[in-house]
Amino acid sequence: MATVEPAGAAPALPPRTRRRRLAAVALLAIALGLVAFSTLLGSVTVPPQVVYQVVLHQLSGGALFPQQCAGTTVSPRLCGAYVVIVWQIYIPEILLALIVGAALGLSGGALQGIFRNPLADPFLLGISSGGTIGAAIIYVYRYQEANADLLLPAFAFMGSVGTGLLILGIARGRFGSVETLLLTGVAVANFLSAVLSLILLYNPTGSEQVTFWLLGGLGLATWEVDGIACGAVLVLGTLLALHGRELNLIQLGQDVAQSAGVDSRRVRLRVILLASLTTAVAVAFTGIIGFVGLVSPHIVRRIWGTDYRVVLPGAAAVGALFLLAARDANYLLFPGSLLPIGIFTAFAGVPFFLYLLYRQRSASTMGSA
Amino acid sequence: MALNASSPARPAPKTVTLATVVVLLLVVSGTAIAATAAYYTLRTAGSPNAPVTPGHLSVTDDLGRTVVVPYDPARVVVLSPNIMDIAFRLGLRSHVVGVDCYAAADGGLADDYSPDQVSLWSLSSSMCVQVGPSFAAETLVNQTPELVLASTIVSIAEVETISTTLGIPVVMLQPPTLSGVLVDVSLVGEIFGVSTVAASLNARLSVELNNATQIDNNLVTLPTVLVTYSVDSNGYWTYGPGTFGQSLIEFAGATSIAANATIPYPELSPAQVLVSNPSLIVYGVGFGLNESTYVGGPLWSSFSAVQNGNVSGIDSNWLTEPDPTMVLSGIPALLAVFHPTLA
Repeated sequence: MATVEPAGAAPALPPRTRRRRLAAVALLAIALGLVAFSTLLGSVTVPPQVVYQVVLHQLSGGALFPQQCAGTTVSPRLCGAYVVIVWQIYIPEILLALIVGAALGLSGGALQGIFRNPLADPFLLGISSGGTIGAAIIYVYRYQEANADLLLPAFAFMGSVGTGLLILGIARGRFGSVETLLLTGVAVANFLSAVLSLILLYNPTGSEQVTFWLLGGLGLATWEVDGIACGAVLVLGTLLALHGRELNLIQLGQDVAQSAGVDSRRVRLRVILLASLTTAVAVAFTGIIGFVGLVSPHIVRRIWGTDYRVVLPGAAAVGALFLLAARDANYLLFPGSLLPIGIFTAFAGVPFFLYLLYRQRSASTMGSA
Repeated sequence: MALNASSPARPAPKTVTLATVVVLLLVVSGTAIAATAAYYTLRTAGSPNAPVTPGHLSVTDDLGRTVVVPYDPARVVVLSPNIMDIAFRLGLRSHVVGVDCYAAADGGLADDYSPDQVSLWSLSSSMCVQVGPSFAAETLVNQTPELVLASTIVSIAEVETISTTLGIPVVMLQPPTLSGVLVDVSLVGEIFGVSTVAASLNARLSVELNNATQIDNNLVTLPTVLVTYSVDSNGYWTYGPGTFGQSLIEFAGATSIAANATIPYPELSPAQVLVSNPSLIVYGVGFGLNESTYVGGPLWSSFSAVQNGNVSGIDSNWLTEPDPTMVLSGIPALLAVFHPTLA
């Protein structure tokens, strides 16, 4: 039953806007708190005082806390180890979680918008299968160099991009049909999955590493890797986030979008390409981390509404925090263990996915009743 | 209403028919399952109590299974590199008609066995009864073996298939301790009628084991070590509590930094290695890994053992395969690394 607004009363928008702003401030506070908390978590427990001394020392270029570990009982040898652990392992790992989480959230939000499907995620088109083949080639055939350089992410990236281009190329003639594109992705992904199985079956060396890679991890994190990933995600993500207005119009239907001067076919191609490249960057450095790109845009839509000019950057922010929280959950639940981070995003993401599915079915059932 | 009232009895027979079919299906499938289970139970239970016929032996393998095997079988399939080592050292080449080739990453046999072994034994790919992660029963049957010697790299389900379905006796040789290697050597010697050769080999093994024990007894402090057999971007894989590798490290007079790990084969992060600060690092070479693999590992150059040059490579086979070579070559190599002045 519709409520009747009294004449001259203020519209309901300001309280909602206030709530959204409050939510934004809360998100910022959570982000800062989570990042600070994350520096304390890792495979080794470093005293909090030492962690913050090391971080402030490094950030200030040595001006602050010139004597690191001062005022603590930590031995000089252990202090040296802690400096390496905090600055060369924990901080790069946290940054990589934020960068990759943002990439996946943004990519998921854009694909959900372009396909007008709330269940779309960055791996929907099957490009991750190509990334896996690229990584498997390195692990299996050039295993000895796998950890020595950036060959692994380079191959995984090329595999992902190559697969994306292959799918787009095959579906090009019928690109207007979303179903054709998605089914082409499914077919190519299944084919590559069979190729991967064959490779691993006859080359057990490195298969364990491929299995771990399939579940995602932050083990490649270094300052160098973070720099490359950050640069790529920043450029691609900005280009992707600029499509918010077009995505808003596409939600209203192809005719409305066309009447507003949006060529939905071109926009779809651009968004899919950019989202695929962004996902490929994420896959290249961390493997396949599921559910971040699926869940993050939904959280944003529930809090800040469906305006894609907000959803896209919002999904990036939530995705970043989601992945960082998954990293922390790993270390909190399994202290000292290095488990693939995809396990934890799945633990959180699968119930949410089922909830979405149930909610969507309920809505469609109610709609058809 | 009138239409419904005119045909009230029609749905009932359909329901009864469907229910009858479901019940019948359940009864038939239940009977089939019970019959199959009874068949396998009777066959499995029958084997240990079966009388030992002339020309046969009743032996107890490393899993505590009692197996009746033919004495000195002419055709045997060996499904583990550690058993191949025993067979090689006992001179049983003419008996081996099938081998496991799964561990040979490049599809050849050279990765598992030394060039000498390969050339002496003329092993060929036609002898491979297992090239993938699970063995192919038809290739095994094709070799018409009288006996299969396997370790726990072969699953229990596969052992059951070989012994129960194919009717070929399987002896599992997976020694839980170093002294278990000697037991296995004796067992294989007994089966093939080469007990004298086995006793001679065991005498050599005993000398090495006693030598290691004497060095252990003279140690004042044990070095803290990292023995890693694989590396990836997350860290270094090593042996944890309860594993053969861990007992090997302890036997060679050292303490592993993963001695208190919560899982048998933990992967230690570079942070954990840094804090544990092992005085020595030993890495496994082989199976596609060499020194450069570890040098490219996370924060490798930050470890003080690396900075001090206290790093050594060792053949991975010596660390992972519990066989005479582990005792004769692996333990002396570890002792030389852990205690260079004593060994």
